[in-house]
Amino acid sequence: MNENPNDSFDELMRRAMHEEADRVEPTDSLPEIQARARAQRRTTSRRPWVLTAGAAVVGTAAVIGAFTVLDNNTNTAGDSGVAAGPSTTSSASALPSSTAPQAGTSPSQAPLTEPPTAQATTVPKDRRGTPEPMGRGTLVPVYWLGDKAAVTPAPGATTKATPKVRLYRTWAKVSGRPAVEAVRIMTSKQSGDPDYYSLWRGAEINTVTRSSGTVTVDFKRLPTTKLNPETADVAAQQLIYTVQGALDDSSQQVQITQNGEAGARLFGQVDTSTPLSRAQAANVQALVWITSPAQGQLTKSMVTVEGTAAAYEATVNYQAMNLKTREVRKGYTNTKEGQKFTPFAFNLKLTPGPWQIEAFLISPADGSTTDVDSKTIEVR
Amino acid sequence: MVYEECVTHESSWDADEALTAVYTAHYTSLVRLGALLLRDTGTAEEIVQDAFVAMHGRWHRLRDPHKALAYLRTAVVNRCRSRQRHLVVVDKHTPRSLPDAPSAEQAALRTAETDRVIEAMRTLPEKQRTVMVLRYYGDLSEAEIADTMGISRGSVKSHAARATKSLRQLLEQNV
Repeated sequence: MNENPNDSFDELMRRAMHEEADRVEPTDSLPEIQARARAQRRTTSRRPWVLTAGAAVVGTAAVIGAFTVLDNNTNTAGDSGVAAGPSTTSSASALPSSTAPQAGTSPSQAPLTEPPTAQATTVPKDRRGTPEPMGRGTLVPVYWLGDKAAVTPAPGATTKATPKVRLYRTWAKVSGRPAVEAVRIMTSKQSGDPDYYSLWRGAEINTVTRSSGTVTVDFKRLPTTKLNPETADVAAQQLIYTVQGALDDSSQQVQITQNGEAGARLFGQVDTSTPLSRAQAANVQALVWITSPAQGQLTKSMVTVEGTAAAYEATVNYQAMNLKTREVRKGYTNTKEGQKFTPFAFNLKLTPGPWQIEAFLISPADGSTTDVDSKTIEVR
Repeated sequence: MVYEECVTHESSWDADEALTAVYTAHYTSLVRLGALLLRDTGTAEEIVQDAFVAMHGRWHRLRDPHKALAYLRTAVVNRCRSRQRHLVVVDKHTPRSLPDAPSAEQAALRTAETDRVIEAMRTLPEKQRTVMVLRYYGDLSEAEIADTMGISRGSVKSHAARATKSLRQLLEQNV
């Protein structure tokens, strides 16, 4: 081979690949890797890293107020080690919505002067607000979809009800910006419970910012799945519940944008040209969910099952089955109050082996089993 | 001297410390490596995260950041390659636009020259492309490429030679 052209070829290749590579700015995932590494180490106790914790809401109420940290989307590996602690309990409360100190934060985005087009409206910079503060080890709720239809129909009952999806909640410990991380889990991870899923998979979160009255969730990429109107609404609520939960504030509407533009038809159905409001819990939230034990948890023979339910006449039924010996335990318990979301708990004494625990309601209309939540656990 | 000290210090790391240190030093470049191989940053990130989790799990056997890096690189390259092979199969059945079509904004940041090289790289068979990425982005020697890909040095040479030939032809045509 002759030297000269080869040199320039090498140089061209090197330059092009580095240039191409430099366009990639990975998001900081050290906390997530650490969490997964820890979970892996504990494989003996099989505790999934998504914590399903009963009253874990306590303790970690997010430190949210007004924030001054500006995010230029440069969560590169370098910064990760020095991610800000939960020190940003800053003083100012309401944000001035008109002043735009963040004018230069994203130079790569379209210039402000660009007129809004008919279909897509660029949300003005000054309305985008500021990102939430960084936190370390913040516990955030992540919502998932689960099918409300019966898994095991009661004998003799005909379940004609169409499967309707409902929201189920898990908890995750995150570092970084709580709402962004919560949405990232929702869009890219499995829930840890095989019955829960997310129709947001494949979407890519960009930023979550707040300004007076509105939370803007900007995506690099929105999900492309097309859904029926009913499911699409619940799936949209999945995002709203998750974001509001992470921000610990359910009063603010959520504006969904893609690369700063509002107006996309989410799931082919939901109009996002204006902010979306939180739906009533009774309409979207699962009526029964088990908060403890967690899916896959290893337990002793005495198991306390805890959960939340909004049950007709406060009655929650349960059934537990040893998947090996087919032994069955059945019963019912009461929630603190009927019709409203209130806690329930019951104790089981189980023989060793894999058990599936189901909590469910019985339809007053036709006696069928509805709103099942199930957990599979391993009893020592 | 300094190096020696450094090594003693490093080998006393526990898995968590090693994870943080190696992550800080190499996470970005590994994701970029994966993204070059796959042209899909999201998947590359997933693959690299998996590799780090696996590295953490076997730190007691690696015990050395250099070995850890080699391990990570191999894991990332292997996973990217098998993902690519899977994608090729899928591609045959469903003609589709690439899922990672760069946004207009990103595309604008790329120079035409890079564009041509990356386009040309796409036409290469998977092994040749991997060799080229490891050589020019990873700056690896033939021996290191051979180790990483689990092939002989001779194969690395011949893949590189064939890739160079096709790329040159393509790039000269398009000028």
